[in-house]
Amino acid sequence: MSKRFQSIFVSRFLLALGLLASHFCLVRCLGQDSEASLREADFFESRIRPILVEHCQECHSLATQKSSGGLLLDSREGWHKGGDSGAVIVPNKPAESLLVRAVRHGDGVSPMPPTDSGRRLSESQVQDLEAWILRGAYDPRQQAPRLGGMDAEQARLWWAFQPIKSIEPPAVMHPEWVWNPIDRFIVAKLEAQRVDPVLPASKQAWLRRVTLDLTGMVPTPEQIDVYMADDTPNANETIVDRLLASYEHAERYGRHWLDVARYADTAGDGADYPVREAYKYRDWVIRAIHRNKPWDQFLREQIAGDLYAQDLFKQGLGDGKTDALEEYSDLVTATGFLAIGKRYGYAPNTDFQHLDFADVIDSIGRSVLGLSIGCARCHDHKYDPISMQDYYGLYGILQSTRWAFPGGEEHKRPANFPPLLPPQQVRQLEEQRDSQLRELDASIQAAQVQRSKLDPSFHAGGIDLDLEAQEIGKPPSKAWLSAGPNQVTAESQSPFEHIFGQGSRGVRIGSGTPHEGVRYVFAQKAKLIDKPLFFTIDFRIPKSADGSQDPDGSCRLYLGRGVIESTAIECSITKNQFAIKDAGQWKVIGSLETDKWYHLQLKLDPGDMTYSGGIYGLEFYAQVPKVALPTNWDRIADTFICDGFGHGSSGVITRELDNVGLDTEAFAPFGSAPFVRPSKTPAGQEAIASLDQQIKALESQRANIATQVLYPVAYGVGEAESVDARIQLRGEPSKLDQEVPRGYLAVLGGHRVDPTGGQSGRRDLAQWLTDSSRPLAARVFVNRLWHWHFGKGLVSTTSDFGLRGSDPSHPELLEYLAGRFMESGWDVRALHRLIVLSRTYHLASYSSDSNDPLSAHKALELDPENRLLWRHTKRPMDAESLRDSILSICGLLDRNVPKEHPFPPVDSWGFTIHNPFHGVYDSMHRSVYLMQQRNRKNAYLSLFDGADPNLSVDERKPTTTPTQSLFLMNSPLVHRASESLATRLIESRQDQSSRLQELYKITLGRFPSDQEQQECLDFMRVYSGQEASIALGDTELKTWSALCRVLMTSNSFLYID
Amino acid sequence: MRNNRRDWIVGSGRGLAGIAFAGLLSGNDRAFCSAQESSDPLAPRPGHHAPKADRIVFIYSTGGVSHVDTWDYKPKLYQDHGNKITATRWLNKPGAFERYLIKPRWTFSQHGRSGTWVSALFPNLATCVDDLCVLNAMVCDSDGHDKGTLAAHTGSAQFARPSHGAWVSYGLGTVNQNLPSFVVLAPNPPYAGAQCWGSDFLPGCHQGTHVIPGDQPLAHLKPRVSNLAQQTLELELLEKFNARAVRNSPLDPMLEARMRSFQTAFGMQIQAPEAFDLTSETQATLDMYGLERGQTKGFGWQCLIARRLAERGVRFIELIDTGSNSAENWDSHGNMQDHERLAKMIDRPICGLLQDLKARGMLERTLVVWTTEFGRTPFHQTADHPGREHHNLVFSSWMAGGGVKGGVVYGESDEYGIEPAVGQVHTHDLHATMLHCAGLDHERLTYRHAGRDYRLTDVAGRVVQEVLL
Repeated sequence: MSKRFQSIFVSRFLLALGLLASHFCLVRCLGQDSEASLREADFFESRIRPILVEHCQECHSLATQKSSGGLLLDSREGWHKGGDSGAVIVPNKPAESLLVRAVRHGDGVSPMPPTDSGRRLSESQVQDLEAWILRGAYDPRQQAPRLGGMDAEQARLWWAFQPIKSIEPPAVMHPEWVWNPIDRFIVAKLEAQRVDPVLPASKQAWLRRVTLDLTGMVPTPEQIDVYMADDTPNANETIVDRLLASYEHAERYGRHWLDVARYADTAGDGADYPVREAYKYRDWVIRAIHRNKPWDQFLREQIAGDLYAQDLFKQGLGDGKTDALEEYSDLVTATGFLAIGKRYGYAPNTDFQHLDFADVIDSIGRSVLGLSIGCARCHDHKYDPISMQDYYGLYGILQSTRWAFPGGEEHKRPANFPPLLPPQQVRQLEEQRDSQLRELDASIQAAQVQRSKLDPSFHAGGIDLDLEAQEIGKPPSKAWLSAGPNQVTAESQSPFEHIFGQGSRGVRIGSGTPHEGVRYVFAQKAKLIDKPLFFTIDFRIPKSADGSQDPDGSCRLYLGRGVIESTAIECSITKNQFAIKDAGQWKVIGSLETDKWYHLQLKLDPGDMTYSGGIYGLEFYAQVPKVALPTNWDRIADTFICDGFGHGSSGVITRELDNVGLDTEAFAPFGSAPFVRPSKTPAGQEAIASLDQQIKALESQRANIATQVLYPVAYGVGEAESVDARIQLRGEPSKLDQEVPRGYLAVLGGHRVDPTGGQSGRRDLAQWLTDSSRPLAARVFVNRLWHWHFGKGLVSTTSDFGLRGSDPSHPELLEYLAGRFMESGWDVRALHRLIVLSRTYHLASYSSDSNDPLSAHKALELDPENRLLWRHTKRPMDAESLRDSILSICGLLDRNVPKEHPFPPVDSWGFTIHNPFHGVYDSMHRSVYLMQQRNRKNAYLSLFDGADPNLSVDERKPTTTPTQSLFLMNSPLVHRASESLATRLIESRQDQSSRLQELYKITLGRFPSDQEQQECLDFMRVYSGQEASIALGDTELKTWSALCRVLMTSNSFLYID
Repeated sequence: MRNNRRDWIVGSGRGLAGIAFAGLLSGNDRAFCSAQESSDPLAPRPGHHAPKADRIVFIYSTGGVSHVDTWDYKPKLYQDHGNKITATRWLNKPGAFERYLIKPRWTFSQHGRSGTWVSALFPNLATCVDDLCVLNAMVCDSDGHDKGTLAAHTGSAQFARPSHGAWVSYGLGTVNQNLPSFVVLAPNPPYAGAQCWGSDFLPGCHQGTHVIPGDQPLAHLKPRVSNLAQQTLELELLEKFNARAVRNSPLDPMLEARMRSFQTAFGMQIQAPEAFDLTSETQATLDMYGLERGQTKGFGWQCLIARRLAERGVRFIELIDTGSNSAENWDSHGNMQDHERLAKMIDRPICGLLQDLKARGMLERTLVVWTTEFGRTPFHQTADHPGREHHNLVFSSWMAGGGVKGGVVYGESDEYGIEPAVGQVHTHDLHATMLHCAGLDHERLTYRHAGRDYRLTDVAGRVVQEVLL
């Protein structure tokens, strides 16, 4: 009986037991209780249970795996808990019970059974239900305690969750078949099945296999010579150690992990923004493997590296030792694992974050634990013991994390990338820059003030608002932005002349929608740091057109950074009131009249972060009392807006504005003498021109400093404010249910993040995932490594160790390897060594000569899929191995680690879903370094079944298609490579035969047989004859190129024996 | 010594592909290979039930085609033009929004025996209405271009999933091994790019092959050696070596599949250019599609190539109209007048395709589907606004041939075309119906991935039985 059948059997059995138990309970109840109880039980069994079974449970029961609307009606707990719309039965109150409304087809509920089922309860059935509820809804059906999709008891017993057992390799009948402990497990099983393994592969075949496996490239002729000449007993060990220590090995196995980690170089949002820093994570993975970082640490750093980096910093990294700084940078980079998934948003907000998180949770689950946790997003897992509580417990951890934003359609610049320097150094650098910028700003402002004093056409005090230059009869334009029925008019000129002098026009803003109005963005951001800021404006509310009645509505004056991004001051004006926003509340501070001009002056004080001032008019004054500036204002004022979001009754009022000014120096007080503009002089003009030049130079200097890269950053994560997440019913963030404390899967211990710790919980998570008392991470990894070596894991579903996953073919071997792996301190290299030096790994794929054909026949019949490992299964080279091998044999491969991808400069990024990023960068580097987009696949990699970077990939599924063969026949790569190889052969060797020997060694790792040699010579004779007859260039080169092509596209090249 | 390609192919003769090529070279266009070997993921397979359609042509108009200006006639929208209504959604946000109804700029009239209403935007397609089944109560899950487009192609507006064509290829394989099973003819990629024809977790051979209209429709199709005879020599030697490898590895069938795939690839070199070569088409046919002789792009070219691919056994053919550049596609936020230019580009070609398929007796075995990511709002912020916004609450699509009733309008929107009234068809339902016509049961066409059985229709989808013959 297979394990799956066993578990089905067990669950059936438990179900039967459950039924028995409930009957037993019923009987016992009867013994104790009164006749009333008997009547209730009777009523339920005879009237209610049949209705539920016949009409409801098809869609609302665990037995049918359906809980439509989140509701179960197969147990009392089911309806107690209720569905997405809440409780459905209120005992004693049929009228308040949703169930009754639904079966009565009442308003506001979905009719049940659904109308398209064509069924409807009879009136008497409905009355029975009502009577049952009225009598208290007696229901003897008890649910077995559950965890996600599994009976809780059963879940605890699931093999993958058991602690790792200490296993001794079994004794075998054929000890001569055993080279190391792995072989004992394999041989024992073969013996039990009476299957003989095939003989070991030839030396050359094994060398080619192990080299391709460990480095992703064919062995070089030199490597072959050295190995073939080495007849010491340790020849295999020597070669394996050399391969494992090579950087090529790290690149190869790094790529394996990058499949699982869903690596790509773009964000995968609609516009597919490039991620310039993605490669740092890729290179970190490769470096970590090259250093043989213990696997548990490797995993932990990818979850919480930034936190370990902080520890490092606290331990006194401050003195800036280079090694420590490098380690700091590496640890932060490692968290790229979390950040690198497909992104769904357009701006750094939370609109689509639930989808980003779904990707992260799913990827952590599959890659580290071999569990499909992502399935519990919308409902409890259907099969595995994972509940929505589990999912949202992890979700909270991610929500308490700060995520690098790669850029997107709405917000086109990357943001929140964690620095690769410790905070103190980052602060220093930033402060340095800020002070440089502050100095420059001050110089720019000083020059502007100076300029304004010389320029007669300059109207707006410190910063030019240029209303006076606008055209009468039109909405204000340029520098100003206008929406709605607005007009510059002569009538809207303010009568006050003490600041701007005599003017000729102002702006009249009509009553459109609240969003409409005027906006002015100041050329320089004014910052309230040490000096005060001053703001002034004149305004009037005109009477309605015919002058008969006072208009209704209000308008708002806004000063702050951006379009209501960070607010400093908000005032509101109606026909008779002036109000200011104080601590979020409108506060009326003065009475106004229509048709009268008022003058407002405010002073913003950086000392106590308040503002105050006054409203002045002819025979009018109202004080603006000291009001605290909003605490969340970032002290930058660069935008003035007048829109319709004021206080008072709804609607927008028509208003007139003039003489707007913002300055770092105080404006002339109300009542001072009229300001007189300087007159135009040649000397003044010259001075202005020189100032303009000065300002321009300063501004460009400022832009340079402002956009300078201060310190390197990574595409990773950091800490954010810690929060617990609420369950999202059906996975929809708008349907929030109860809050779940941050924590770990219940079935693996259900640990909770300490809520008082003020941390996201990633540190805990990293620990839980790799804690040696919890066996999944080690089991999943040793199985993955086995899969990478053999093409199939001992558990063939390498990222699914749950109920739907496959059973281990050699459970004891898996236990043994996992145990040994943990004992070794999660030493990956030792595990590689153990596997590739086993006799099992050394077996031939098939050999017609040296095997007993009868035995092979039997093995094939018994085990066609080779699950018992009686031979080595041939595998095609994957996309990367194929390209890297072709490039390497023809000498075109660039073995250096390349620099970052040549993405367009970030200032030019304007990608949208309409015009997404697309890049193709030629490269002669190893394929792991090719730029890979999420939304536009790399054509070559996708042709040869490369990993889809949009999800965690545990297994490449090789296909054999004619379009691949077309590539091998006609692609520029293969032709260029074959010509290059041919040139090398022709140049390095004189005679045909030695060239052939070399060609076979380079491509296939062996020498040609006599027959093959003859076939090649025959081919060349005919080919060159034909080639010469059409006389198209170098016949010898063309002929040898053709032969090289044949060999590098032949089965013996493409498949790993 | 054999030194021409026919000898190589006939001589190789191993497996049916070789025989098929003998047929191909003797001038037989329909080189159908029967099931070769179960290990071949593209070998033709029976579906779940007898199919009505042997192939699907999926036409996708990118950007969001306004329903009330094309297929969904709303007389009351003309009458109440300028009236204020309260919309429940605006720019992807729920709420109560005061908006003004805007009438279409084009008139509608009834056509065919069925009397189906069609706007003046599609004068040629209007002559085909008796073959069309118009769906006027389509709904989809998202009003974002990328998400809506993904939903229309993969069933999921959110996550990367296999595309409809990949599912069909996975379910049925393909009858002609000389051409890909799933071909996408698109001058520019749509929103979400190659994900729209990706295979995701299905085997990679099922992904769509993107053909960019022009001289070189498929990659690596042109031999790079001096002549075919040279290439034949290479392939002969290769086959000799490969055959030996196959003999030495009888347990690994992939090796034989690879050997055969070279024969097929050689066949593709010949047949694929031929499939894309319109010189043998008559002037009358070219006219039908509105094509100039020698033209190798434009929607007429895409439609005529679609017919030729359909004839040659390609299982799933997708035609993408325009692309993700909103200045050039149906995303008429700024001015609905753009719809006229866009309609003109596809009206005659699609009509030509339907008529041509019908004249050749292929329409009844070919399911043609036209759709778009969503419709456009019948209302706007002001009554004189020239554009329309995205509207996924209801929109229009149509199907023709392949087991679907002609001359039918299924589904109705409300009086202004804002929400479905009756006969709602969700993207999942459209997919379920497409699969059904092709002989596949959308609930049984599953693939086990990461512990779950995935479907094109996720956990939803209903075959719209009402429109089936």
